[in-house]
Order: sequence, then C-alpha cells, then structure tokens
Amino acid sequence: MLRNKALIFTFSLIVGGLFIWAGLLKIIDPLEFARNISNYRVLSPKLSLLVAITLPWIELLSGLFIILGIMRRASALLISLFLIGFIVLIGVTIFRGISVDCGCFGTFSRKADFMLMAQDLVMLLLSGTVFLKTKPKLQGR
Amino acid sequence: MMSRKILWQAGLIVIVGVAIGLALHFSLLREYGAGEFLQEDAVSEEYPDILFITLAEAEDLFNTRSALFIDSRQAELYNAGHIFGAFSLPYGVGETEVLLAEWGRPLDETLVVYCDGQECRSSVHIARQLYDAGFLDIRIFFGGWEEWNGAGLPVEGDYAP
Repeated sequence: MLRNKALIFTFSLIVGGLFIWAGLLKIIDPLEFARNISNYRVLSPKLSLLVAITLPWIELLSGLFIILGIMRRASALLISLFLIGFIVLIGVTIFRGISVDCGCFGTFSRKADFMLMAQDLVMLLLSGTVFLKTKPKLQGR
Repeated sequence: MMSRKILWQAGLIVIVGVAIGLALHFSLLREYGAGEFLQEDAVSEEYPDILFITLAEAEDLFNTRSALFIDSRQAELYNAGHIFGAFSLPYGVGETEVLLAEWGRPLDETLVVYCDGQECRSSVHIARQLYDAGFLDIRIFFGGWEEWNGAGLPVEGDYAP
C-alpha cells in the first residue's frame, strides 16, 4: 500500500512537473504559442489565440494540483485527456505530412514527430496510472 | 469508477484556468479585437500553407542547410548586412514575378523569408508572391534580421558590428 502511494507520488511529480514547465514556457509568450498552434492548420487564427491564452493555465494548474494532491484524480484525468489530444494531433499532423514545431515547450520546442508521440504515450501511461490508482478520499459521514 | 465529482473538479480546473488566462491577457485580446494582428491572420487564412517560424526553427533550417533564406528588404539594407547566404529579393522593386519565373529554383525547395523584424511586412508580401509563383514550402521568419543579428548568428555584408 505504502509503495503504491510512493509510486503514485513519483508519477505525479514527473507528469506534473512536465506540465508546469510546459505551461510556464507558453504563458511567457502567448503570441508565439498562438503561431505554433495555427501552424498545425487545425484551428483558425482567432481560436488559436484563445487556446494559446487559456490552455497553458489549465496545464499549469493541473500540473500543480496533481503534485500537491489537490483534486489529484481530476487533475490526472485532465492531463490524460490533454495527452490523448496531443497524441492524436501529432498523429494527424504526421499523416498530413506537415512539418511543424510542436510548440510544446515554448522556445525549447522540437519537431512534432514519432519520438514526441512516444514521449507523450509514456506520460499518458503515468498519468493514467495516477488516475486509476489514486484512492478516492474517504468522506466523513 | 468515474464519479460525477471528478468531472466537476476537472471542469472547475478548466474554468479557473480559462478565467486566469483571459483576465491576464485581456489587453492582448483587445488589441486583437482592434485588428492589430490582422495582416498575419489574413496570410494564415488566405495562404494556410505558409508557415510562421521562430528563431530556433530558422536556426535549425540554417544549420542543416535545408532551406534557402530570402531577404525581402531593400537592397541597401541587404548590402549592409543579411543572414549568411541569404538571397536578396526586395519587395516592391520591379517585376518580382518575372524575376521568379527566370529564377529556376526547384519549386519544392524550402524557403525562409524574412525582413527587418516584427514590424515589417515585406516578408509577408514576398511570401505571397513566392506562393503564387508556385513554391510549395514557404516559411516566414517574423523575428527577421533584428532577432537573427541580435542572437549573434552568422551574417555577412558591409555591416561591422
């Protein structure tokens, strides 16, 4: 039981840390991120800007909460949904033959490729485990 | 398994995140509403195949020699200093279309167009002309000469730092 707890915390720390970092780097420069999003050619420029302004904050909050254990399951769920979204998006982008900077880590971004997809899959495994294995808090009756 | 409470909490995180983002960048949204970025958007909407790239991406293309850089500024500026190996294609001078027709470069070559920096728009115009001339992979480096030179990356020209 105890080992389980430590494992969940470790997983939370890795995934949460990554999301906090990714969120912060995008918050610094929303216009740059908006450009990155519109390069994927999925959203219109208007929507890209809206997503660029709001998405990093959701990333940051869920990353913070999963580490602190505040609403951990909900945070893990959100992070998992994000990761599934990213994986699908990268897949579609590769399929369409578009070569874009992923925009995932601000200026530290790399190409949206299979390696990135694999990395997101590993992260999904971690966040999925946190979501499934975190015990719901017992409620006093 | 997935209780309603979890969904509520997830929704709450999303709402708080969106609220903070919108509140913090309210001025940006207002500028947007006032049409500050329309030029760039018009390009994205009319020419969805033209990409906007960052300094890191431009540097990457430069280092791997996988793109031809095109300087869209006036000749004097180009002569004073430009990205190493860049080709001069000043906007608004003579018949760019004719020049491009005789240019003889492969149409699938990756082209990176730049001008001075964030404020200039000649790179956008040249990018459109290149696109209309049939080039398939055009990218606009909005940071332009200022960002490139500021980062101490390879340049050439009469300009002495």
